[in-house]
Amino acid sequence: MAKLTVKFIPDNKTVEVEKDRTIASAALSAGVPLNAACGGDGVCGRCRVLVRKGQVGALATGRMSLADMRKGLYLACQTTVQSDLEVEVPAESRLDMDRLSAEEIDRRLKGFYGPSEDVQSLEAAAPVKPAFTGSALTEKLYLELPPPTLQDCISDLERLYRQIQAQKDYIPEHAGLAAIRLLGELLRSAQWKVTATVGKRYGIIELLDVEPGDTASRNFGLVFDIGTTTVSGQLVDLQSARVLGTRATYNKQASFGSDVITRIMYAQKEEGLEKLHQAVVESMNAITHDLAAENSIDLNDVTCVVCAGNTTMIHLLLRIDPTYIRREPYVATANFIPVARAHEAGILVNPRALLFCLPGVASYVGGDVTAGVLACGLDTADDVNILIDIGTNGEVVVGNKEFLVCAAASAGPAFEGSGVSCGMRSSIGAIQKVTIDPKAFAVRYETIGSAPARGICGSGYIDCIAAMLTCGLLDKDGKIKAIDNPRIRATGAGREFVLAAAGENGCQADIVITEADIDNIKRAKAAIYAAVVSLLKHISLDFPAIKRIFIAGGFGTSLDIASAITIGLLPALKKETFVFVGNSSLTGARNTILSEEACATADEIAHKMTYCELSVEPGYMEEYMAALFFPHTDIARFGKK
Amino acid sequence: MAIEALLEKWQGKINSVTIGATAAEGGTRTHTVTVGGQTALPFLFKEGALPNKPVIAFEIWDCAPDDWPPELATVYRADWSHPLEWAARCVKEYKAGLLSVRLQGLHPDCGNKKPEEAAEFVRALLKKTGVPLIITGCGDDDKDNIALPLCSEAAKGQRCLFGSALQDNYKTLTAAVLADGHSLIAESPIDINIAKQLNILISDMGLSPARLVINPTIGPLGYGLEYAYSIMERCRLAALAGDTMVAMPFICFVGQESWKIKEARASIREFPQWGPEKERGIIWEAMTAAALIQAGADILVMRHPVAAQKVREYIDSLCS
Repeated sequence: MAKLTVKFIPDNKTVEVEKDRTIASAALSAGVPLNAACGGDGVCGRCRVLVRKGQVGALATGRMSLADMRKGLYLACQTTVQSDLEVEVPAESRLDMDRLSAEEIDRRLKGFYGPSEDVQSLEAAAPVKPAFTGSALTEKLYLELPPPTLQDCISDLERLYRQIQAQKDYIPEHAGLAAIRLLGELLRSAQWKVTATVGKRYGIIELLDVEPGDTASRNFGLVFDIGTTTVSGQLVDLQSARVLGTRATYNKQASFGSDVITRIMYAQKEEGLEKLHQAVVESMNAITHDLAAENSIDLNDVTCVVCAGNTTMIHLLLRIDPTYIRREPYVATANFIPVARAHEAGILVNPRALLFCLPGVASYVGGDVTAGVLACGLDTADDVNILIDIGTNGEVVVGNKEFLVCAAASAGPAFEGSGVSCGMRSSIGAIQKVTIDPKAFAVRYETIGSAPARGICGSGYIDCIAAMLTCGLLDKDGKIKAIDNPRIRATGAGREFVLAAAGENGCQADIVITEADIDNIKRAKAAIYAAVVSLLKHISLDFPAIKRIFIAGGFGTSLDIASAITIGLLPALKKETFVFVGNSSLTGARNTILSEEACATADEIAHKMTYCELSVEPGYMEEYMAALFFPHTDIARFGKK
Repeated sequence: MAIEALLEKWQGKINSVTIGATAAEGGTRTHTVTVGGQTALPFLFKEGALPNKPVIAFEIWDCAPDDWPPELATVYRADWSHPLEWAARCVKEYKAGLLSVRLQGLHPDCGNKKPEEAAEFVRALLKKTGVPLIITGCGDDDKDNIALPLCSEAAKGQRCLFGSALQDNYKTLTAAVLADGHSLIAESPIDINIAKQLNILISDMGLSPARLVINPTIGPLGYGLEYAYSIMERCRLAALAGDTMVAMPFICFVGQESWKIKEARASIREFPQWGPEKERGIIWEAMTAAALIQAGADILVMRHPVAAQKVREYIDSLCS
């Protein structure tokens, strides 16, 4: 079949494709990242491109007006290539693949508190967290072997084992054939002075690799939190237990859909699973490459990788079909993943390096939650604490050293800037804090990086709605009041409030919050709050019995507690109750890589955690409906009369 | 051996709402009607005070109804074209102590009266009869939002009960009744959460919860009555347990719902085994009302005088 050429500008990338392929698929082949929150279903309207030259075939879509199409604008995923083309990709249709700024990473990973925020850091508030003992999951041992003699003539491998046993309290039980094949020559050319890398696979010691000379000081590990939206990675010196660097990037899978369900559906398409797998591995390899370059380390010295991620993300990383996670009765292929080689998953480090995936509990409560429990020490505390991981899929864990129960609630992507009119992820230019003057309704906002406002991120929406409620712009049902003010505009679909007008402080277009956006956020917060309450009811507890509430997640780190209580996302408890833990899943993964004991504990946590399926919990829907109000239909719970 | 009765102790109380204002109170009504005030579940006299009996309001329209079945037409048709006479007859002949007038004539499909005409009708009705009034709009939000404030103003000082405020359209009417001293019906779609939310929203505008009446929306016998019943019961239990935001009397539009359904309308020719339609509709309306009284209904808006009489007797027998 004749190939047609598609040229993308301003990238100046050209790709050859067959006739009738979509522009979106051509863009993917050309490496031009397009925004496609819906995964190419033609419903999100975010992949608009301008066809400058050539013939296209366009499917009808309600997302484009006739006027737009006359201008030459098309939805890339609904438009096919019919001749050689020249296609312009406007900035707003581009998936922002830039790495997160250092400041942003800092915020996401270490926790970010506004100066006015009276919350304690994890270290200060959570003495429950014990220091894990035990050594790292992979160790490098420098060995000086006595050369064999007629009297001491055991085999090379046994000689190696004997020396390891002499230095450590364990003996390898397993070794790879690849390492053994090279062993005889290597030991002799290195004059019996070698470094052995051993790995610990849940109690089984494996001889991973043997290198000539002493490289014991160069042993590194990588830990990852694979989120639906963000992938974070950290390089750890396994010898000294020091963190060498942390990086985060957007999960490249975002171009196939913004939530796990859309991705699972995409995985069922032809080559879908492979593409999703490649996308997440690329994201991880980009982080790995950067961290290695920054610290001038050889990737061959990375001997262990630990990943925490939700169940779907881990399936996709390992190229395991996630189909059945989405179908009743929602069963994962595997929650406890055996130790594999990082290489098998496509992670470009030492080919013999081990890959640990922290065990998950259920299809919608993954290893990231196990890692979070480990990091917060929920499983060791005497008091009953709660961990809430707020994201597209909200997870809740309640428990102490005697019990752990967990649940998941689908909050939807509104908190992460999807499905809301001016929503964006929390990156540069996102409005994240809002105050509104109660008289003139003048708005003051802060953006991430103090850049001109480009949109509103989850914490910005929460702050904004809280401010609007407080100053009387909004009724408790989430309807904007008809007040005569230039910031309040009536549209065909209800009213909207202008946070930032085009031209104001370098802002390109009007940034507004609509009644529909407020409704989306209302449903998201109701899902999370109802999950917490239902889970507590399930175990016959109530908030007074709770000592602390840990709030985790990339979103959670920049959350204003007072605003979150005002809108009813969090229960009205004393501020000291809440503890931000930032990315607790990355912290848990780091604990794991540095300690066999932590690794075993994570396994125990996942085994002992009881999963509560809220969709069959009779009270959940009831709670959810009652929470669809600001702050709640039962206003007495929020101290109001 | 005597068995000791186990009595429930409630801390909450249903608000009392008075409809109508006499000359002494600045109005022109001959009497007032007070509902609510209970401190116990319906008819459990030993558990608390039940100071006011459920009341019946006769439903009239400001225009000739186009969908009332023959059995109702036989009773009222003579007066349909003269709503004021219709009202007078309900009071005189059927001893109505309370009238519920629906300003259906405002509706674009039912005459499309001007808002001023509706206000004029309210004024005339207040002159014609001395009973307290419940006044509801035509159901077309845009039209009601213009007309009801005018009617509210026309009835200023008469302490009417106006309806209906809805979750999506409560602000205009709330502001009007607040200014003119009336009470307000808050209507929710058989949903306990929305019922409460709407009461909160209205209270947030400054109207006292003591001036609110809940229309929980009902289904007639055989059409979701038990669903409405359980919502009312849950609402009442919450109120008696101390939730002041649901502690309002209930108004139930029994006639409107009962006379809609096939069982009340179909002729004996269509369903010979169902018996004569002359009795069927009346029984259906009365049965629906009787059940809702048990759920806690305070005001029953009814259509057929015979059904109303039966229910009145039933209430008296429960209260004697």
